[in-house]
This record gives sequence, structure tokens and C-alpha cells, in this order.
Amino acid sequence: MHFSLRLFTLLAGLFLAAASYAADTAPKLTTADDLGPEVAQPIEFPHFRHAGDEKDGGMQINCMYCHTYARRSIVAGIPPVQKCIGCHQNIPSVRETPRIKQLFEYYDNNKAIPWKKVHDLPDFVRFNHERHIKRFYFQQDRPYQEVCGYCHGDVKTMVVARRQKSLTMGWCANCHQKDHPVNATSSETGHGPNDCFTCHK
Amino acid sequence: MIENDFDRRDFLKVLGWGGTAVALSGCGYTSIEDGKETVTSYVTLPSYVVPGISNYFNSTCAQCEAGCNIMVRVREGRALKSEGNAASPINRGKMCGLGQAGIQAHYNPDRVQTPLLNGKAVSWDQALKEIEGKLNGVKGDEVAFITGTMSGHAQALLGNYMDALGSKNHFSYEAVSPAVARAANKKAYGVAMPRFRIDKAKVVVSFGADFLGAWVSPVYFSQAYAQFRKGNRPEGRGVLVQIEPKMTLTGANADRWLGIRPGTEGIFALGLINALGAAGVKVPADIAAAAKDYNPERVGTDTGVAFDQINKLAALLKERTPSLVLAGTAAEGYAYGSQNAMAIAMLNHVLGNVGKTVEAPASVPFPQLAPTVGSRSALTALNAGLAAGKYKVVFSYGANPVYSAPAAMKFKDNFGKAGFKVAFAQYLDETAKAADLVLPLDSAMEEWATVVPEYMPAPYEGHAENYAQVSLRQPVMEKLYPNKEGSGTRSVGDILLALLKQRKPEAYKGFDDFYAYLRSAVLEKKTVFGAAAKDDNDIFWNDTVGKGIVALNGVTAKLAGRASASELALPAPAAPDAAYPLRLIPSVSASMRDGRNANEPWLQESPDPLTTIVWDSWVEIHPKTAAKLGIVEGDIVDVSSKSGSIKAQAYLFPGIHPDAVSVPVGYGHEAMGRYANGTGANVFAMLDPVFDKETGELALNETAVKISKTGARVIIVKEEGPIGGSQAGRKKIAVKVSAGKVDLTKEV
Amino acid sequence: MSVSNLLENWSKFRHTHPVEDKGHPDWEAYPSGLKTDIKWAMAIDLDACTGCNACSVACYAENNLPVVGKEKYAHGQEMHWMRIERYWGEENGEFKAEQGAQFLPMMCQHCEAAPCETVCPVGATNHTEDGLNSQIYNRCIGSRYCSANCPFKVRYFNWYNYPEQEESWPAPMHLQLNPDLTVRTKGVMEKCTFCKQRTYVARNNARNEEREVADGEVQTACQQACPTGAISFGNLHDPSSKVAKQWAQQGVDIIKEVQDKDKEREKMEHEGKEPEKMVRGYRILEELRPYPSVMYLERVREESAV
Repeated sequence: MHFSLRLFTLLAGLFLAAASYAADTAPKLTTADDLGPEVAQPIEFPHFRHAGDEKDGGMQINCMYCHTYARRSIVAGIPPVQKCIGCHQNIPSVRETPRIKQLFEYYDNNKAIPWKKVHDLPDFVRFNHERHIKRFYFQQDRPYQEVCGYCHGDVKTMVVARRQKSLTMGWCANCHQKDHPVNATSSETGHGPNDCFTCHK
Repeated sequence: MIENDFDRRDFLKVLGWGGTAVALSGCGYTSIEDGKETVTSYVTLPSYVVPGISNYFNSTCAQCEAGCNIMVRVREGRALKSEGNAASPINRGKMCGLGQAGIQAHYNPDRVQTPLLNGKAVSWDQALKEIEGKLNGVKGDEVAFITGTMSGHAQALLGNYMDALGSKNHFSYEAVSPAVARAANKKAYGVAMPRFRIDKAKVVVSFGADFLGAWVSPVYFSQAYAQFRKGNRPEGRGVLVQIEPKMTLTGANADRWLGIRPGTEGIFALGLINALGAAGVKVPADIAAAAKDYNPERVGTDTGVAFDQINKLAALLKERTPSLVLAGTAAEGYAYGSQNAMAIAMLNHVLGNVGKTVEAPASVPFPQLAPTVGSRSALTALNAGLAAGKYKVVFSYGANPVYSAPAAMKFKDNFGKAGFKVAFAQYLDETAKAADLVLPLDSAMEEWATVVPEYMPAPYEGHAENYAQVSLRQPVMEKLYPNKEGSGTRSVGDILLALLKQRKPEAYKGFDDFYAYLRSAVLEKKTVFGAAAKDDNDIFWNDTVGKGIVALNGVTAKLAGRASASELALPAPAAPDAAYPLRLIPSVSASMRDGRNANEPWLQESPDPLTTIVWDSWVEIHPKTAAKLGIVEGDIVDVSSKSGSIKAQAYLFPGIHPDAVSVPVGYGHEAMGRYANGTGANVFAMLDPVFDKETGELALNETAVKISKTGARVIIVKEEGPIGGSQAGRKKIAVKVSAGKVDLTKEV
Repeated sequence: MSVSNLLENWSKFRHTHPVEDKGHPDWEAYPSGLKTDIKWAMAIDLDACTGCNACSVACYAENNLPVVGKEKYAHGQEMHWMRIERYWGEENGEFKAEQGAQFLPMMCQHCEAAPCETVCPVGATNHTEDGLNSQIYNRCIGSRYCSANCPFKVRYFNWYNYPEQEESWPAPMHLQLNPDLTVRTKGVMEKCTFCKQRTYVARNNARNEEREVADGEVQTACQQACPTGAISFGNLHDPSSKVAKQWAQQGVDIIKEVQDKDKEREKMEHEGKEPEKMVRGYRILEELRPYPSVMYLERVREESAV
């Protein structure tokens, strides 16, 4: 545990920092997949079924219908079990499927579901969902799937979510130093903050 | 959405679930480890809870009797930090260090987690059954209950329980209490605790009242002090003169600190009255008669304060009115402490302060909720009963007499004579260790309670003149040790209710728990608590709990005529005992107080403001006395009185009278927890059993001691550097300027 | 090569002079119309300060400071970001207690030309666009040069692995830890951040509502606790803020190395004239030119009353 920090310190101190500040030599914003490990969840939640496109059998539910805190808090949040039940009590067609039975079991026993964290940032990083959603979803009026997908990848095609981007500092900084239009109509651009202290806590 | 009528208390339970999960995030390590940590999740969630955003719940601080109103920051089910409640007239959004550390009482790793019978874990049912069994056939006057200062509905329940047992033996005990002052105030002003308007005074003369540190309601008085020091106040900037043998935090902030000979405060006060009379201030005849022999020369000799200073102080007081004179712990800790306090109070009459800076207080209109202020005489009475074998069953709550009674009282032995001893305890402290049955208590972050502050603040921002308040305490998070399978902690209210149900099942069967009792008791009187009779109960209750403060139309006491000064008789300062030449002054520090909070590590690591020492006791000695005895800083010295002795490190301190030495109280616990045990020495134990003649309070400063070197020497662990408090030739570190040289009137 | 990149871009971390250079404010990062010019600063009134230690304990509570215990304290390894220094009056080499003691709350002064920043070999401490002296824990390699070069001695080094090896938060005490900031581990330097996590939230809220951060919206933990209200904190670049008014009224200008009022006073004293009534703001160790962001107000005492 402890070692990993020291190693990370060195990495962060030399390689990542250098990459982020050396604007001219920085590689282009990568969208290449950098797959994280498969994570076993207490309930195998099918993201594609909820958020996926119609043609893939999905219901195109907005990410923020369930991860509702993303636009008003630093964390996106996992929906309370009550939220799942809110819909599923009215969907008798799947009521007896194993996963939904499991879901109701948690609810009836008043027990929280011990979801595992998939996109786990180090504890010294302050990542603010709200700011990113405000900037890209509300101000720039981009589609939510694209906005969330910048960091979370194409979750709408997944069953259990899996990390697709590296989420390293260099990866963050690559985007932060790029110019983005400030809103949907303006030609004015701006980029993300590059103060260490903004993201490091 | 399902309509789910979770009420707030269920919600707390649900939050508790999330709380354990998120516990990792504060202290975990760093690398990205997908799929290892559990993410915060809830079953159901009220709309005002957003993960990642804090909620603040109003409550009431339990760290001392001042009862400051606080708001506790809660995130994902964890209480994180206390802040002051800005709407409170007591602390106005502010807090002291002691209050801040309250969260460490809650999260303390050494809390008792289950009932213990003779050291073995038992269930609550067994514990309560055991009590009922032991009470069986015991007469009411064979039962005693010792508590600290209590107030509110838990106190009312305690009263009901004692009535149910047919006992009148409720002993309200505080190791450090303003009991002498209250008695003297009653004689001098007709009320036990008037409003002292420091904020309105031009001059404050304080005889050992450490109102910025540990006296009565320090956060309240600190705000008043800040007002008092403002240059743009209509009264102008105030002047503070502190008269005491050992410098307190307040003394350290005085314009003039007068290091008086211990015990001569009353003589000084009469000398000052004499000087005021000589300067042309009209002095009532009986007071003038009492003061006539105390001319400045004699007073100067007795007190060790230069007589021209007495005259200068008299001139200042004559010129600047209104002023305010306060008597505090240091002046009262003598066999004639009441006389001292009375002489000091007479100054306020002579200076015409009564009615101006000494105002009539208001109190809550419910006598059964008003605080029963603890005293030392209560312990003396209990101890006598115990020694005589009078009590068969003894309860203890919020007091630790085994630790804080002088060894000479033999309290521990006498306590052992009681047949069955029950301690309500948060820690296994000295008293809990000596008890047969220990009942684990909730922390103040987990319990419902009502609290009436010991010192009712003056009206603030639009309050009526008769403002009084009741404060509410609510659980801000799920219990750390929930009641599962008979274990876990309970609040004092819940325990008393359970005990009452054993006695009077019919009368209390309607109340599931103390919360239900409290709610119904408040709603029953809701019109007095500021609601209209037609108001909806739920709305009123939620609003009240949300605010944490109930403003009331209080009952205003009248300042009554004072007792005659003709009975004032102050002995000449005693000649020092050749065997025990020094006077021991047990000092009460702002953070350690009487030692009940000694197991909160922030307080142990927070340096004493004056000596900057941490994690230990010390003996303050004047450099001149130390030189005479050949003592240097860090010498381990033996401080011995007729009743006991301690060993502690010597610290040379300029703010103490050369005839006195001072040791802080609150240290030297034998049992409490990992931070308190063995840290420093317990000075309570070595006090001589000398009592104030009028009130029977233990005279804290009447212990004569001798000091000898043990030969050992340590390097004192303290904040200040090797050059002590010197600025080492630097001009501008901590700068002081004379009031005449700065323009304060235009300051922002 | 990464190290050469680092060296090439060294100047980006650095201030040259606080007069001209406000660090490297990255205004492009802010949408137009919201170029909030923030310079966090503080004023501490030593006349109101009673030395009660509430600020210091509040800081422990807010900032996850470990309690180190007696032995480590004796080694000078205490971690209090905010400490109260206590001084005595002196006469002929003896301490005098007649006018009480004097207290001085001391924490990171967030110098505009911070001596610590220039000596960090890895750029772990540098200036932020809102005028803070930042400390990036996972960039820090523990050289302790910054601490050596700090004239105020307000940087604290983690000599131990407090959370795990030293058990500074035995369960359940770890539940009290503030999730808005990390618990630092062995081998890194730490110090007062002006409660960065609180300013962050205030700025975030202000941006949501498309407004500037209002005065009084952020209180540092020490300020919020202080029973006498001795501490004020706010945006020095907002002339309507209390702290800016105090600095202006007390004649202390953050970009000056010697204040005009001090020059004036010196001149008058040189000419043998009695200086008129003065204001009482000053910065500690101003003569070393670190341009501290904390102004102190001299303690006032009546000399002649008694």
C-alpha cells in the first residue's frame, strides 16, 4: 500500500507533471480505450438495457436519471435502492427475474447494496462532477452520453460498467489544456484550470 | 416512487449503513484500485441529503455547563465537525477548543460499549433487572444519586425517579464550581447569577474570574470581551485589570495584571473601597465602616501590591463608569472565600454598577428544567452519608468523585461501603471502575436532550429583555454502538425512563423511549415554547428541532437589596507555615477543566496557552522562588501537603506570586482511556480538606505545600522554544502598542 | 526527456515578483464575464486574540491533523498547522508579567514571494491563481528544503505513517476524518492551506450562480471558531470585503516591501518629531520580502491606567 504511494509520487512527480506542462510535446487527447479490470458487482446491473440505444434493446434513459447527483455534487452518486424500486415495482414483466428478485430482497430487508467502485480515483484527487456537467452538458449543450462518456467511456453498451479511460493525471491534463467553446453558440474558447491545487486535495 | 414514511430516526439508521462504507475515503491510500472500495449507497434517502454535500444539524454542546448551541457537520452519515450556531445568543456562531473536541468524545475509542456487571458484559435487560433487584426492600433514604450539573427533561425524569424511590438524596456535584460566587451573589445582589455586562463596562476589575478561559460561560464572555475592547464602542475601549495570584488566560489579556498574595483578594477589595472613599466616591455607611481599617498602606503590605497602584486603580474606577467587578474561582477558594466574594461584590455597589453592568437575569419558566448547579458541598454531604454506611444503592452520572475528591476525604473507601453502586458512564473512569454496575452512555452526538444553560445570556439582536432559552440536543448520526442483543449504549434519558418504568409502569407506558417522552413534554407546553395553540404539532416540533434553540419569555428575577456589610470580617493574611511555606493553587485550564475531557487527544496536544506545555502536568514556580530553592526548568519536584504529594516537572513562570505554586487540575487519571491514563499527576488528591466556612465548599486554594527537588530532570515538552517567551531581538513579531498612540475609532 | 521538460517549464511554476506578477492566473479557464480576480488574505487582530487555542483545535478537526503524542512532540514533530505563540514582556533580560502575556496565532502566511516555493526541487509547492501557496502532497518528495527556507516555520513534515503505523485515528476515530481532503502519509510536507476545501466549495457555488464569491461566504475553520472574532478572511482584490477594507485602513499594501506609513514614521523619528496617532497593521518579517498575505494588528494596552 505504502509503496504504491511512493511509486505514484515519483511517477506523478516526474513523468505526469512533465507531460502536462510540456504543452508542445503533449500527445493529442487520447480516446483510446485503457480498460480497467472487470469488477464483480453484487447485482449484475445491465447498463445497456437501461441507457443503451433503442436499436440495441436499450431504453435510452438519461445517465442522470439514476446518477442524479452528478449535476449538483462532486460525486455522481449511486441511486438509492428506492429509486430502482420506484420503477421496477411497476414492471411486472421482469419482476421474477433473478436480478430483480435480488434487488427486492435488499429493499425488503432495508439493506444497502454494497456496490463496488469502478471509477476509483486516488483519495488525493478532487474530481467535481458538477463542474464538468455544467460546462459540457448545460453550457455547451452536448449530448449527455457524450459528456459522461468523456471519462466513463461507452457505458451504454456495457453490462456491468468497466473503466475504459486511464483516468491518470496526464490524461486529465490533456483535456484541460485543450480549448473548448465556452457555450453552445459562442466562438469564444477556454480551457480547464491547470492549477495543481484545484484537483489535488 | 413509493411513498415511504421513513421518519428522521429511521433515516439516521439508514445513513449509518452508508457511513461505514464511506469511512474509507478519508484515510485510504492513493492508487487507483477499481473494484476494491465500496461506494456510498442508501436504501432510501430524504431529498435534503446529497452525497458529497454536508448537512448541518443544530444541537447543543455537552463539553461544559455553558451549553453553547452548535451545528454539527454531517456527511454520508458521519459527524465530522462542530461549528457554532450563529443564531445563538450564547456563542453566536463561535466555539472554544474544548467544544471542538466534543466530536472526539463521540468517536472516542475508549468508550464503554456494553453494560458491565462486576466487569463482565451483561445485557441491558439483565442490568436493569439487577438494579431493580438491588432496590428491592431498600428504603428511599438508603438510595443516593450523584450527578454533575444537570438540566432539562432528563433532570425532570431524574426528579421523578427519585420521587418514585422516595429518596431526596440527589447530590449535584461539580469538582470546579462557581458555588461560592453564587452564594455570595445571592447575598450581594439577591440573585445567584446576575448578567455581567462586560460589553457595557468601561473598566473590568476581575479578582481571579477567568471569564476568557474556564469561568461560567467562556465563549459568551469572550464575545463580550471583544466588544469591550473595541475602540469604536460608544463607551470607548475598555480597560481590564486582573487581580489574582496565578495568571489565568484572562490575566494574560489584562492591561494590568496584579499578582496578589494568595487569599488577600478581599482585603484588596476593602482597601480599594477605602481608597475610593478617600477619593470622594460616596460609600454607604456600613460598607465604609467595614473598609475603614483598610488604608492603602496596610493593604499594600498585606496584599503585596504597591499602594500607589491601589490609589491609581481607585482613580481609574472613579473616572470611568460604569465599571464591573467580578469575583472568580481564585478569590473564593479559601476558608473565608465567601467573605472575599462578598467584599468584592460590595465594590459593584460602591461604584454604582448594580443595575448598569450587573443586571437582573431572566430564567426559564420551568423550575424543574432549570439547571441544578453542582457544588463541592454536595460531595461532602454524600461522603458523610457513605462513611456512615447510610446508603445501600448509589447511582452516579456525569461525575467522577473517586478521581476528584481529595484523598483526605477517603471517598473511594466510603464509596465502597455502599452495597450496590451503579455508574452511568461513557468511559471506564475511576468512579465507573469502583462501581458494581456500569451502564454505557450515548455520546452527546447520539442523544436527545434539552439543556438549559447555566448562565443565561443577555438578549441579542431583537430579543425581549426577559429572554431565556431552552436548547435542544438531537442525535446527529446513528449510534456507534447500537442496541443489538442487549449491548450498546443508551442515553441518560432512556435509562432513567427504563428505570421509571420498573417503578411506575402505568404512568410511563405511553413512552417508547426518551424521545417520545421529550417530544410529548415539549408539545404539552408548546404555547410556552412559543407556539400558538392551533399550530400543528409536527410542524412546530420539526421547526424547534431544526433550530436547536427555543426562545422563551423568561422569568425576570429582581435584583434585591444587598445584605449588610457589617458582617464582613476578613482575617489578616496567615503567616506562612514553616513546614509548608508555599500556597498551592490548583489551576483550571480552558481545555482540561476538571479532567472529564482528558481522554480527548486534541485537548492533550493543545498547548496550555500560558506555559505551552502539552501531555503532562507541571508546577508553576516564580523564578525568584525557584532560584531560592535551586530549581531550574524541568526539575522533577515533589510537591507535598499535609494530605498528600505529587511529583511533576517544574516550570518557571513569571505570572505567579512568589509565595505560591500552581499545578493544573484534570491530569493524572488512573482510569479513563489511552490518552488520559498516566498523563500528568492528579492534584485534587493532595488537597487539604479545608472548607469555606459559609457554604461548605472545598477551599481549593487553602493547601499549604513544600517543594523539594527529586534530583531527576526532564526536558519539558512544550510549544515554546528554548528561549521561552522572548522575541530574541526581533522588533516585529508580536507587537504591543500603547493605547494612547493608536487611533482605534475609525477601525473597520 | 521528462526531466528536461520539467526544467524548461520551470518558470511556469515560479513568480518573479509579486508587484507585477500575480502568478499565472489562468483566466482562459473561466468563461467570459466571470474573471473572478481573487487574492485570499487574512487579517488577525492581536488585540482581540486571547490565546485560547480554539482556532488551533478547530484546525485539527477540519484538516485531519494527526495527534502525535508526547514523545514525538518532544522531537518537534507536532503537526499543528495553526499554533499560538506566547511571548512575555522583557526588561533587563527578565520576563515581565504586569501586562499579561502576548499571543500570536501563527500559520502559513501564504507569501506572495514565498521563500519555500523557490527551493522545492520538484515544484510541489507553488502559487495558485487565487493567491495561495499550495502544497501538492503526492508531488512532494520530502526534501524539507521548503521548511528550512520558511522564515515563519509553519511547514510540518510527516515523519511517520500516522494513519496506519502510528494509529493516530484508532477506530472509530477515523470516522471523523474530513473527506474533503486527504490524510497525508509519511514523507510529505504539509501546512495551512487557508482551508482550501472551503474556498473551493465557495467558488464552486459562486460559479454555479454566475456571480463572484461574496464577502463572508468563506470562513476558514480558525476564523469560524475564534470566540472573539479576531480573524478575518476574504478576497483582498474585492475592495468591499472586510479584509480589503482592513488592509487599506491599516495602511498595509500587499505589494509593498516597506509600507509608506513605516517610512513616514521612520522619517519623523529621524527628525526627532513625535509621530502622530498611528494605525496598527503590520506584517511579520516584512523586511525579508516574502510579501505575506496575513496582516496582524498590534495588540493595544493601556500603559498608564494602573
